[in-house]
Amino acid sequence: MKRFVKKWRYPLFRTLMLTAWALLAGFPIFWITSTSFKPDNEWHKWPPVYVSKNATLDNYRMVWPIHQTGSIFVTPDQKGHGVAHESVTANKPWHALKNSLLIALSSTAIAVAFGTLLAYGVSRYRILSDTRMFQLLVLRMIPPIVVAAPLTLYYSVLQLMDTASGLIVVYFITSLPYAVWMTKSFIDEVPREMEQAAEILGASRWQTIWEIIFPLIRSGVVATFLFILILTWSEYLLSFILSKVDVVTLPVQLSKYEGSTEGRVYGHQAALAVGITFPLIIIGIFIRKHLVRGFTFGMVKR
Amino acid sequence: MTASATETAAGTGAAPARGSRSRGIRIFKWTLLTPLFSLFFFLMPVFLLQLYFSLHSWTIYLSSWWDADYAGFDLFREVLTESRFYWAFARSFLFAGLSTVGCFIIGFGLALLMYRPFRGHSVFYVLFILPMLTVPIVISYTADMLLFRSGPINDIMSFLAGTEIRFTWLANPNFAIFTIIMLEIWNWTPFAFIIMLAGLSSLPAEPVEAARILGASRLRIFWEIQIPLLRPVIFLALILRFLEAMAEFPKTWGLLQGGPGTSTETIPVYLYIVTWRAFNVSKGAAASYLVMLLMIVIILSAIYVLRREKKALDALYEKPAGGGEA
Amino acid sequence: MTLIEMKGLRKVFGRNIEAVKNLDLSVEEGEFLVLVGPSGCGKTTTLRMIAGFEEPTAGEIYIQGRLVNDIEPGQRNLGMVFQNLALFPHKTVAENIEFGPRMKKVDPETRLRRVREAAEMVKITHLLDKLPGQCSGGEAQRVALARTLVTDPSVFLLDEPLSSLDAKLRREMRAEIDRLHQRLGKTFVFVTHDQEEAMTLADRIVVMRDGVIEQVGSPLEIYGDPVSHFVADFFGSPSMNLIPGTLSQESGKARFRAPGLTVELPPSFSQAPAGEATLGFRPEHLAVSQNGGIFRGEVRLVEPLGKDTLLYFDRGGERPLIAVVEGTRTFREGDTLGVSVNPDLLYLFGGDGKRIRRGSKGTGIRPA
Repeated sequence: MKRFVKKWRYPLFRTLMLTAWALLAGFPIFWITSTSFKPDNEWHKWPPVYVSKNATLDNYRMVWPIHQTGSIFVTPDQKGHGVAHESVTANKPWHALKNSLLIALSSTAIAVAFGTLLAYGVSRYRILSDTRMFQLLVLRMIPPIVVAAPLTLYYSVLQLMDTASGLIVVYFITSLPYAVWMTKSFIDEVPREMEQAAEILGASRWQTIWEIIFPLIRSGVVATFLFILILTWSEYLLSFILSKVDVVTLPVQLSKYEGSTEGRVYGHQAALAVGITFPLIIIGIFIRKHLVRGFTFGMVKR
Repeated sequence: MTASATETAAGTGAAPARGSRSRGIRIFKWTLLTPLFSLFFFLMPVFLLQLYFSLHSWTIYLSSWWDADYAGFDLFREVLTESRFYWAFARSFLFAGLSTVGCFIIGFGLALLMYRPFRGHSVFYVLFILPMLTVPIVISYTADMLLFRSGPINDIMSFLAGTEIRFTWLANPNFAIFTIIMLEIWNWTPFAFIIMLAGLSSLPAEPVEAARILGASRLRIFWEIQIPLLRPVIFLALILRFLEAMAEFPKTWGLLQGGPGTSTETIPVYLYIVTWRAFNVSKGAAASYLVMLLMIVIILSAIYVLRREKKALDALYEKPAGGGEA
Repeated sequence: MTLIEMKGLRKVFGRNIEAVKNLDLSVEEGEFLVLVGPSGCGKTTTLRMIAGFEEPTAGEIYIQGRLVNDIEPGQRNLGMVFQNLALFPHKTVAENIEFGPRMKKVDPETRLRRVREAAEMVKITHLLDKLPGQCSGGEAQRVALARTLVTDPSVFLLDEPLSSLDAKLRREMRAEIDRLHQRLGKTFVFVTHDQEEAMTLADRIVVMRDGVIEQVGSPLEIYGDPVSHFVADFFGSPSMNLIPGTLSQESGKARFRAPGLTVELPPSFSQAPAGEATLGFRPEHLAVSQNGGIFRGEVRLVEPLGKDTLLYFDRGGERPLIAVVEGTRTFREGDTLGVSVNPDLLYLFGGDGKRIRRGSKGTGIRPA
């Protein structure tokens, strides 16, 4: 009996602790998912409804309308009163989805493309010294809010305010440090002899990159791309400041449902939030092995 | 072998010809650097504009920004004499400090429980990284659903306490900042967890085994062998998390907009309110400048530590040398 | 005709790590040149400077009379086989071999034919559709050779290509490389730290040490006429017996003394300077008898190799004295035996490690 206790004490303790945290970690995600299926009379109920018996897809139909006609969309205004909009506004999430996709995909693609080339130059030709590489991190670490005001003016001069290209450029800049550092950690793992073999066989520098380096780090580049996509897709502040009207992205679209605490349209918010978050969760789980490398700029591997 | 060692190949006197390697490499390097340079030139005006605004008095109610009056350092003085600015700083440090420590302790604890494989390992791993993959602004709205007075958190607490609890998580000015800190901890514990887990599993096994054979206790092994070996990873996790927390905006803003009162007004929220709520662009720019200078000092010292620790990390990952010669 | 010429070649890494110091060397057309030496001697750096991967700090390299210091590796008309082979893991064997001609814009038909020819030459036609990861060590080696020879280079550079193979395969591949060299008639520059590889493959051996050339010569010259203690010690297996001691000249007779050993040297050494010296003799030049000899000692270890037997004598020094005797004669550990040596086959090295040559009175050293 004693031996039995001794043998199982640690695994039991471990399972308890891990389960406790897993419940804590998963509960909010469970809650938005569950709320997104609740009819409106259950949103604010006390005691709260955990799993609705009257589950409905109404929230999704409202937020992600397939037909534009006939739907009335209710959002609370600043004072918390419900405001009804025409069906045109109900189409906003689809519009925001389109913007988010365009902006996130293209800025990430550009950042990864240039980042990979820079990383290659750093890894093989040392075009940036160690010091410069670390200085590049400042681009990412500086809080974007401190440059947001002058950026706004600069953008209005350049007529980039409220445009997709404006946001693409900004996201390209903020994700470049991640792209360079992360792809460099993959390039560093390719033996140099591989390129030298290509070089002596007559390949040019660009051919070497395209024919040898790129295929060998392809999975790393894909991981980098998806990792940066997660960051760009969730970005809120810059998008909030630089584009409020025309090219609203999904996170900003979500914050359009502002109102006082008790009057919030939880069901609609949840339906939208699920649409924003679940693709990221799937991508994140898909590249879970590379997340460490991403968040630590490639400094921690495995 | 000392002084003459620095001679270059220039002495060969070969004129750069077609197919010249040094010229080819030079062109190639500059081509690769082009995007970085264009980026630099693209960003330059932003910093110049910021300097301009912090030295000229301009609000959005004035028409053309180039007509603004020169104000010298008045705006800086205004910001620096405002207690709200200092409070924002204090809150930011409290927020970043507490949330970093919280994330780290929980994350490291989980990593310690998980670094040896067991059944169900990957299920827990996937569950644990979920918060990190959730969009921050979504977290703020979800938190609102969870924490409002008739929300499930109060319900669960009532159930556990056996009596009805209707705690005001968000409207209580003394407590709201801690609610936000808890959210930040929930959001980013996975960050500390995955880093520490990676660190723990890349530790060489021999020192621990050697210590065990020498009869060291588990606790002793942890403090005297594992912790020192993990030092670079620990630094990395703490530094990166702290810097990110200093810049946190979506959750704080989305949930409480600095309120109630100014009780959750961290530096990013303060800057946003001054610039876009009070439309005092110049004052915002001056405050931004001060924050930027301070952040650059913090970031550069952080980078100094990161550089040192990265060397230690690279040594950890270095495989036993395989033959090759100088 | 001289194919590669290096003049005053020097390479400094970092601030003051001098890998190659003032090297002059020429490689003749068609020869098999082996650069050999312990690790860190600069042999690989020299090869990489020829290839163009390292830029010389000073000095010039000419290939076919053309100064190539600033020429791209791909335009030097060289082929190289790397230590870790560096096959492209994402391309099939055929694509690997085809890579060179494709980069040089050879038309697809000719390419296909040449790939086939190269594959046939090293007998790997059955592997063409496989990936390098699916090939065994020896097969991968052949693929690397085929990939190099398909571009028809004027020089083959081989950087310790056999070091990752086990002993048996290594011998096989050595023969294969030798055969290729003879068949192609091209110039080979081969880097190795294995003296046996150098001896069996080379037309000419370049022994390097600490960034300088110690000795250049045919394998037999290197073996039979080493210029220094270092070269004598490096070549031969088991290596030469080297006994440190002192040389004295007593009434016209040279005498070598070491603990437990005194040797009367032949008159040809009468001009040798007295002082610190090292006496060397190859294990296979020793004769063993029950009595007599320059040295008597107890046999510590008997190592029968089949054709020969190695006898280890403990002399109290760092290294045992080794004798090779023919056949598997019945010596037992613990026997006390006398060792004698043909005075004509003695080597003498001065305190500086340089060889002390015989005077005109003596006969030259002939390899056994």
